[in-house]
Formats: sequence, C-alpha cells, structure tokens
Amino acid sequence: MTGYLLRRAGQAVVVLAGVSVLVFSLIHLVRGDPIRLALGTRFSQETYDALRERSGLDLPLVQQYFTWAGRAVTGDLGVSFRSGDTVTSLIGERLPATLTLAVAALVVALVIALPLGMLSALHPRSLVDRVATVVSQFGISVPDFWLSIMLILLFAGVLGWLPSGGYVPIGEDPLGWLERLVLPAVATGVVSGSVITRFVRSSMLEALGSDHVRTAQAKGVPTRQVLTWHVLRNALLPLVTVTGVQLAYLLSGVVVVEIVFSWPGLGQLAYQAVRDRDFPVLQGAVLLFALVFLVINLLVDLLYGRIDPRIARR
Amino acid sequence: MRTNRLLPLAAATALLLTACGGGGESVDTGGGGGGGDNVLIAAVSAEPDQFDPHVTNAYASFQVLENVYDTLVVPSAEDLTMQPSLAESWTTSPDGLSWTFTLRDGVTFHDGSEFDSADVVYSYKRIIDEELSNAYRFATVSDVTAPDPRTVVVTLTRPTPNLLELIGSFKGMAIVSENAAEEFDLQSEANGTGPFTLESSDANATVLTTFGDYWGGAPSIDGVEFRYITEPTAALTALRNGEIQWTDNVPPQNVADLEGDEEVELGSVTSVEYFYMSMNYAVPPFDNRDVRRAIATAVDREEVTQAARFGAAQPNETAIPEGSPWYLEYAPFTPDQDAARRLLEQAGVQTPITMGLMVTDEYPETVAAAQVIASQLEPIGIDVEIQEEDFATWLDRQSEGDFDAFMLSWIGNIDPADFYENQHLSTGGSNYQGYSNPQVDDLLTRAATEPDQAARKALYDQAAQVIVDDVSYLYLYNPDEVQAWAPGLTGYQVRADSAIDFENVELP
Repeated sequence: MTGYLLRRAGQAVVVLAGVSVLVFSLIHLVRGDPIRLALGTRFSQETYDALRERSGLDLPLVQQYFTWAGRAVTGDLGVSFRSGDTVTSLIGERLPATLTLAVAALVVALVIALPLGMLSALHPRSLVDRVATVVSQFGISVPDFWLSIMLILLFAGVLGWLPSGGYVPIGEDPLGWLERLVLPAVATGVVSGSVITRFVRSSMLEALGSDHVRTAQAKGVPTRQVLTWHVLRNALLPLVTVTGVQLAYLLSGVVVVEIVFSWPGLGQLAYQAVRDRDFPVLQGAVLLFALVFLVINLLVDLLYGRIDPRIARR
Repeated sequence: MRTNRLLPLAAATALLLTACGGGGESVDTGGGGGGGDNVLIAAVSAEPDQFDPHVTNAYASFQVLENVYDTLVVPSAEDLTMQPSLAESWTTSPDGLSWTFTLRDGVTFHDGSEFDSADVVYSYKRIIDEELSNAYRFATVSDVTAPDPRTVVVTLTRPTPNLLELIGSFKGMAIVSENAAEEFDLQSEANGTGPFTLESSDANATVLTTFGDYWGGAPSIDGVEFRYITEPTAALTALRNGEIQWTDNVPPQNVADLEGDEEVELGSVTSVEYFYMSMNYAVPPFDNRDVRRAIATAVDREEVTQAARFGAAQPNETAIPEGSPWYLEYAPFTPDQDAARRLLEQAGVQTPITMGLMVTDEYPETVAAAQVIASQLEPIGIDVEIQEEDFATWLDRQSEGDFDAFMLSWIGNIDPADFYENQHLSTGGSNYQGYSNPQVDDLLTRAATEPDQAARKALYDQAAQVIVDDVSYLYLYNPDEVQAWAPGLTGYQVRADSAIDFENVELP
C-alpha cells in the first residue's frame, strides 16, 4: 500500500512539472501584452519600458520560466502584475469561498442525484424515471449562466427571499452566509447533480442485473438487504469516481456562476487573470487546479481500494 | 419541438427542487453584511486592481480613489471647468512658462499630518521620476518647486494652457502625503485628503469610512461600501431589493425599462467619451481619402447609435459633445449610399472589396455597432469582416498596425488637446491609424501653446474640421453616462467625465 502511494505521488510530481511547462508556454504564446493592458491607451515608451523591466518580462522566456518554477517549488508563486499582491495571498483569500461553494454544490448535487437516480433504477421506465431523465437532461444542457440569472430573478427579484449575490464569511454573519450560499450552490449543484443522477441510475441498474444479486434474491435474502449489501456497494464504486471528478471540477471554480453571483472565488480570480493577462496569477491558479485534480484522483483511487480490495492488490 | 414544450415544466420542477433544498428565510434589507445603517452601498461592475493613484489605470480603482484623494484643481460637476480644490488660486507668468499655485490652509491628511507644498512636490516628482502611468501628462514640465509651505511653482519647457486639465482632470494626479510610498503600502492603503478614508478592501468589497476632518466638511453619510457585481441583472435586482443603493452597472438596453420603474431612480448625462472607427493608412485602399470619405458617407450614425446604445447616446461627427465649451457644430456627412458609391468610383476602386473591422468583446457595444456598419457598407460594395478579439489581443494588433479598421472609444477627455493630440498628430503616441497631415500638425502644435482661449478654440476648430474631412477618425457618437440609485437618495450628480463622487450624498 505504501509503495503504491509513493508511486502515485511520484507520478503526480512528474505530471505537475509537465503541467507547469505547458501552462507557462501556452500563456506566454497567447497574444496580448500585459504591460500594454495595464497602462491603458495613453502612455510613453519610457513608462512602458520601465514597467516591463520591473515585471521581469524583458528577460528571455526560458530564464523567466526557471525563475518562476524555482520559486514555485518553495511555495512562492510570484506577484500579481495588476494588484502587486502575492499570488499565494490572492489564492489564499479566494480559496475558502470556492471551497464552501464546491462542497455546498456537491451536497445539493447528491441530494438531487442519489434519491432520483436510485428511484429511477428501481422503477425503470416509470413516471419517476421519465421525470428524472427530463430533469437531468435539463440540468446537463441548461447554460449555468441562464439558470443563475433565472434563480436571481425569481428568488431575489420576484419573491425577495434571498440576496442576489455577494459573500460574507460564516464567522461574521452565519445566516447571511447561508442565504448567499443557497442560490449559487443550487445553480452549480444542478449541473453536477444531473450528471451524477445518470451515473447512479446506470450503475444501480447494472448492479441489479448482475448474477450475484439474482443469486441473493433466489436464496430469499430480504429485498432491503439485497439493496444495501449487494447493489449499493457495487453501484457506489463508479459513483465515487464521478463524484470525485465533479468535486475537482467544482473546486477549480465554476467561473460563470461565481461571476454572476459575485462570489469571490478562484474561478473569478482566474477569469480576471486571463482577461488582464496577469501571468503570475494565472500560472498559480492553473497549477493549483492541476494539483487539486491530482490529489482528488489520488484520494479517489485510495477510496476505491477501500471499497473494492481487488484494486489495491493489483 | 417536443423538447420546447417540456422545457417550462422541467424548469418549474428544477425550481421547485431548488426551493426545497434552500429554505426561505426572509432577507434583511437593511445593511446586509456591511457596516451601519448610514453607509451607502454602491455596486460597481469590477474590482479595483490596486489603490496607488499614480500607478493604476483601472476605472474601477478610480471610482474608489475619487472619494479618497484630492487634486490641486478639480473639474466642476456642471461643465467640467477647472475649479479650486487643494489649490485655492493660481497665477501664470506673462511668458506662460511658470505657474504659481497658492495652496489651501488647514487641510489634513487621513493620518493626521498637515498638507503643504512639499506633498505636492513629492507627488508630482514621484510620477515624473519613476516614469509612472501618468508621466506623459508632465511632458512639458521641467521642474516643480516649493518656495514656501503654501506655494508651489510649476516650471514648463513651453507654454501649456491646459496645465489645469492635465493635473486636475482625474485622480491619477492625486496628491499623496510626502514619502507616502515609504510609509504606506499604497497598493492597498491610502493617505489622501479626500472626504473618505480607505478602510479595507478584499475580493468581496471595498469599504470607505467618512473622514471627520475633511477640509470641505465631513460628508453626512458614515461611509461607502463598494460591492463588485459584474452581472447587470444581479446589480439591478439588488438595487430593487434594497441590498444596494446605487449602481453604474446599467446597460443601455435596460434604460427604457428602468425609466418607468418607481423602485429605481435614473440619472443620465451625455459623457465626454466618444466612440469612433479608424482605418489603417498603411493598407490600400484605405489610404485613399475618397475611400474613407465614401465609408463615412455610407455610415448612418443614428442607426448605429440605436443598435449599439438603444438610443442612449448623441450621434456626433466630431469628437467633442454638445454642451462642452469646446463643442464645434460640424457635420459634413449625410448618410447617402449613392454619393458613397460615386466616391468609391472616383477613387478608382474595383468593388467589392473586403475590410476587416476589429472590435473587442470588452466593449460589447462596438460589436453591435460593427454589425450595423457592416450592413450599411455592404450595399456600396464593401464586405466588412468583423473580427472580435479579447481586449489584450485587440491592443496588440492595434499597436502592431495589424488591422484594416478598428473601433473603440476614448474616455477621460476634457481639454481639446486630450481629444486630438495623441490621436492625430503625426507623432502622436496613439496615432495607430498612421494619419499625417502637416496642416493638422501645425494647427494642433500652435493650439497647444496658445494662451488665449478664444484663439485656441479657433485653432482646434480648424484642426477638427480637417481631421473630420480626412476621416482620420470616423466619429460615431458620445454615449450617455447612465447610473441608477434608490429613490430618495439625494446629493448625487451624474457627471459627464464619469467620475463618481459620493461626498454630498444623503441616504433616503
């Protein structure tokens, strides 16, 4: 088990190094000069050169990469071109908001997906199943932008039940925190929930049709026991993967939802960084997203091993 | 079309589900998460990048800084003429090469220190010596000295009649306290003399607190909280809900709707910003004056304005809006496609030709305007290929001359030099189209040093006419600055220079 873990961690480091090279070169290959963007439309050549030199953008690209990568290893991701803040502090400031939203959205997703997916698997082609199919189809295909606006118009506008957006830390105002969390969590969770619903349904169906379930039923094991011990355990396996992937996706910031609801998370930060060509921030954010994916994948694999010991032994 | 009929049902189901998941506590519309009851909550569309007034170029930062810092002089809200602020009065030497400012007495900075001439010298020299963003505004300044604590002398290399506009038209020329850059982290802290102090700023909001010792008398509100709401629907919903009391996030297409809305008060004024299209003089046939004039003749500005701004703008064939003392009534082009075709023929151009028109999604209205212009040029044999870029790429292509034509706007103009010099002098720093006309060069250069206002206006009027006739820029319109606030909020005035000043606001 330890060897397996070490091997996987080693792989993760290699992947991360690869990602860093890729991110760095891609960002710098994209057209758009951050200095020109920062200075606006009116400036003198002297001002331009001075700022370029201060930002280190006048150095050769390879040198820029190694300076950046060398510092990144020690946890120093550089300084934002635009605000002058360190990238780690910017990310640190945004992380709690995104973490909160991601977890809340996942809760919403599972609350939708588990009962809906199970019910439709147990009663295929019933009314419940058909409604679930339509709802999940809707959830997958509806643009999150549109859904977010509709939620704002209905719950903040017409009904006036909830604020239209923003964020307050839970320590400051727990009720306000919850009120502001609901709509973005729902907007994000509906999409993930729809994806997960389908997986729950299909993996449940698959498990229901498998030989050992039929054997158990033939042996006269009570239905409830068959469902929990034989079906759910097997159906959980793919669900862990899908949920893991969804969480990683949510954590990397659901950009659109964060922007519509003025949710000060990583997605918003990354979006602004792309727009402003704020290379250090963008590189830091992408590196963090990659890290999140790798770690979550690793965790999913470990969890997999717990649920199905055959996998860890391989 | 079965799916279409199912959609409302599905939507209703989804909303029901979400309602169950949510729980419906009522919302306290009073203060939300922010300060006390007497704090103005203002929604702006973007987060400030930083707060160093001499470094930043972001409008979002200046919206905040406007209320925190002062300049020596300041444009009046009514007609943008320069009024005393930190400087009480000023005189100009007979040769126009030296300006002497007498400073206001009894002004204190937010940290309690007293304001004097050393602070002005420090601020201006910081901009000049460190080659910061606004150094170009001091291009004709050779020295700034402080003969005594109440006097500042600015020495020039040539007469600069628009010096007041250069140092006062926006807070990029703010006066910070002496050695502020050493004593404060100016990117996140401020030490100004303005009516509000910078309290805090994070990814969620920027908070200002009223400065009790403000020289102009402390504001009656306790502070201002700027919240960043990018999505206009969210901002306007928040305004109706009472979550916020003011926003400038009002898209032109919402104006007509909001005018009949009793929950919202709307303020609007024609701004000094202008939108224009420019063609590349290095790319034939756009180097041909007749071709450019043909295009200017084919464009119907009224239609462009309707599509791009839903009418919330003044069509204009020159840059300066009506109402400015520098306005020139001059409109030589009447939309006429036959005349446009004749001009193209006269130029010897074989139609159809293709013209790439570069626009940026940073300014969505340019995309809409470009579509209308494309439809107006098509009948005269010009196929417009709209090239939509993000702003960073757009700026790159502009500066590399990699375009047939582009559209954008200029903001923050007050003096005619702002409107014409950079853009149309053959040596102008922003003359990306490559315009060069010795007559215009001569007129603009003379106007730049002409001390007599009437004579100066005459020179700019002449220059503007040539620029319009040559179609160095094809001017389109001056947009309206539109802002919305809660009914009952008083003491606020929408300004043509888009500066946002909450000094005299009183909450309902």
